[in-house]
Amino acid sequence: MSGEVLGDVLVECRKVSVGYSDVPVLKDIDLTIKRGEIVALLGGSGCGKSTLLRCITGLLPPLSGEVLLLGKPLYELSVDDRNLLLRHTGTAFQQDALFGSMSVDENVGLALRELTNLPEPVIREMVRMKLALVNMSGVEAREPASLSGGQRKRIALARASILDPEIIFCDEPSAGLDPIVAAGIDETLLKFRDALGISLVVVTHELESIKAIADRAIMFARGGIVAQGTIAELSESQDEAVYNFFHRVAPGHEHADTQASAR
Amino acid sequence: MPNAAATVERTGRSAVVKLHGDLAVSTSRDLYGQLKGLCRHRGIREITIDFAEAGRLDSSGVAVITLFERQLQRAGKHLALEGLGDAHKAAMALRPAPDQPQEPVEVPSPLEVLGDKVLTLKDGAVELAGMLSETIRQGVAVLLRRKRLPKGALVTQLALMGSDGVFIVGLLSFLLGMTMALMGALVLRQFGAGSFVADMVGLSMVRELGPLITAIIVTGRTGAAIAAELGTMKVRSEVDAIATMGINPARFLVLPRLIAITLVVPALTLLAMGLGVFGGMVVASLGHALPMDAFWGRLLERVTLWDFIHGLGKSVLFAWIIGLSGCHLGLRAGGDASAVGAATTRTVVSSIFFIIIVDAIAATISTILRFS
Repeated sequence: MSGEVLGDVLVECRKVSVGYSDVPVLKDIDLTIKRGEIVALLGGSGCGKSTLLRCITGLLPPLSGEVLLLGKPLYELSVDDRNLLLRHTGTAFQQDALFGSMSVDENVGLALRELTNLPEPVIREMVRMKLALVNMSGVEAREPASLSGGQRKRIALARASILDPEIIFCDEPSAGLDPIVAAGIDETLLKFRDALGISLVVVTHELESIKAIADRAIMFARGGIVAQGTIAELSESQDEAVYNFFHRVAPGHEHADTQASAR
Repeated sequence: MPNAAATVERTGRSAVVKLHGDLAVSTSRDLYGQLKGLCRHRGIREITIDFAEAGRLDSSGVAVITLFERQLQRAGKHLALEGLGDAHKAAMALRPAPDQPQEPVEVPSPLEVLGDKVLTLKDGAVELAGMLSETIRQGVAVLLRRKRLPKGALVTQLALMGSDGVFIVGLLSFLLGMTMALMGALVLRQFGAGSFVADMVGLSMVRELGPLITAIIVTGRTGAAIAAELGTMKVRSEVDAIATMGINPARFLVLPRLIAITLVVPALTLLAMGLGVFGGMVVASLGHALPMDAFWGRLLERVTLWDFIHGLGKSVLFAWIIGLSGCHLGLRAGGDASAVGAATTRTVVSSIFFIIIVDAIAATISTILRFS
C-alpha cells in the first residue's frame, strides 16, 4: 500500500506527552522518523518507549501534543479515517500477538482477507511470499502454538508486512531469543528496508541488534529524550544514561571517564 | 499513476500484455481476472508482459504475476517479462523459489479421531483424580494445622462467590416460588385441592428446585469465573511460577476455591428454599388459595427434616461438581487466549450436565428409600 501517501517524514511527534491516568511517563517529546530509516528507540525498562510506541500506533492517545502519521494528525481523524491511515503501517508486538485459533496462513493473510477484495489464490501467494521473506516457507498450515518463539516472531513480522506498509513498528523483536535467532530477525528487518523500502521503528534493549540495524537511535530517560543521533555518536555520548546504556554500567556507579578524571 | 489497466495485443499465437499504472491491491484483482482469461485462451502459446508503462509494483502485483507464470507453465505456455525498471526488478526478486516444499498436513482417520478423544478423556480423568487426591491431601494437612491456606484467600473467595450471588439467587428463587404457586393454584383449585399448593411449593423448592436453580446460577457465575481465572493464570505461566516457587498449586489455588464453594452453595440453597417458599406463600394468600398461616402449618406438616437433608446434601455435591470442573478445566487450559474461552464453556456445560445426572440419581435413590 506504500506510495499513496507522499512525504519524506513518516512520523512526527510535536510536544507529545504520553502516560496513563493523566500521569505522564514521557513529556514534550519532539521526534521525526523519515522514509527509509531504521530508528531504534532506546532506554531502560519503564522509561516509556513502549508507551510512546503505543501512542504512535494509534493505541494510546497522547495526554498533550500532536502525533502526525504520514503527515496526518492521527488523533484528530475520525475512527474510519484513522483505520485507513493505519493500514499504511504494520506493528509487530513484543509477545508476537498471533491468534492461537488461526493457522499461520490465516494469521498472516488476515488483513488481506478482511480489508481487500483480492482473490483467494492471490492472497495465498502473497502469504507465501511474505513467509519466504522471513525464512518461514512451508508452515502455512501450522498452528502458532506448534512454533518456537523465534519462529512466531518471524510470522508476526510477516503479518506486519502483509499490506506492504510504509513503516513497521517493532516492540522488542528479538527479546528472549538466542543470539543466532536474534541475528536472523535483524537480517529480516534489514531485508524489509532494503528490498521493500519499509522504514522501521524498533524498540529494543539489544546492543548488538542496535549496532547491526539502526541508522539512528533515540535515547529516552528522565521522562524525555536525552540524546539522539547515529549509533557512533551515541556511543561517544557522555550523558550518564546514554553512557550507562552503551557501556552496561549499573546506575549509581560512576563511569570510567569520570573516575579517570577524578584521579 | 492511480489505476492500472492492461491492454492485450495479439499477433498469431503470441500476445503482449502492456501494463499501465500501478499494480497494487486496488488493481490486482482486475489484472488477475484478465490474465487468468488469457491463460485459458487455447490459441495463445507465447505471452509477454510489458512493464515499460507500469508504475509501482507491490506484493499483490508480484503475487498475481507469479500465479500467472505458474498457471502458464502448467498449461505448457511461455511467459516473458519485458521493460522492467529497477523498482520492478527489486519487487520481483521477492518471489519465493517455485518448488519450496509445503509441510505435509496429516489428516487423521475417523478411528484415530475417536481414539484421540478417548485418550484425551482418559488423560483428563487421570488428571482430575490426581488433582482431587492432592487437594484432599492438602485439605487434611490444613485441617491438622500442618499447613495453612493462603492468607485471606478463603475470605476473598467467599465474598466473590457468596455475597455477590445473594441478590440474583434470592430474586430468581422468589419469582420461581411465585410462578409455581400461581400455576399450581390454578389447577389444584379446580379439584378443590387449593391447600395442596403448600405441599407442591414446599416440597419442590426444598427437595429439587432450590438446590437446582442455585447450582445453575452458581455454575454460570462462579464456575465460569474460576475456569477463566485459572485458565488465564495458566496461559500467563502464573501457575508454573507458583509451582517453581515450591508452592503447591492444589493448596494455593484449588483448596480455597473448593472450601469456599462448599460453604457458599448450601448457604445460597437455603436462601433459595426460603425465598422460594415465601414467594409461593405470598401468591397463595393473595390469590385466596390458602391463607398464610394455613400455608405455613401445612408446610411444617409436609416438609420433613429428611427433605431438608436431601436438598442440602445435593447442594454440597453440586458445589463439588462446579468447583472441581472449574479448577480442573481451568488448570488444563492450553497455551492461548481461545483455550481460556474453551475451558470456560466446557466448565459450564459439563457442570450442568453432571448436576442434572446427580440430581436424577439422588431423586431415584431417595424415592426407593422412602417407599421401601
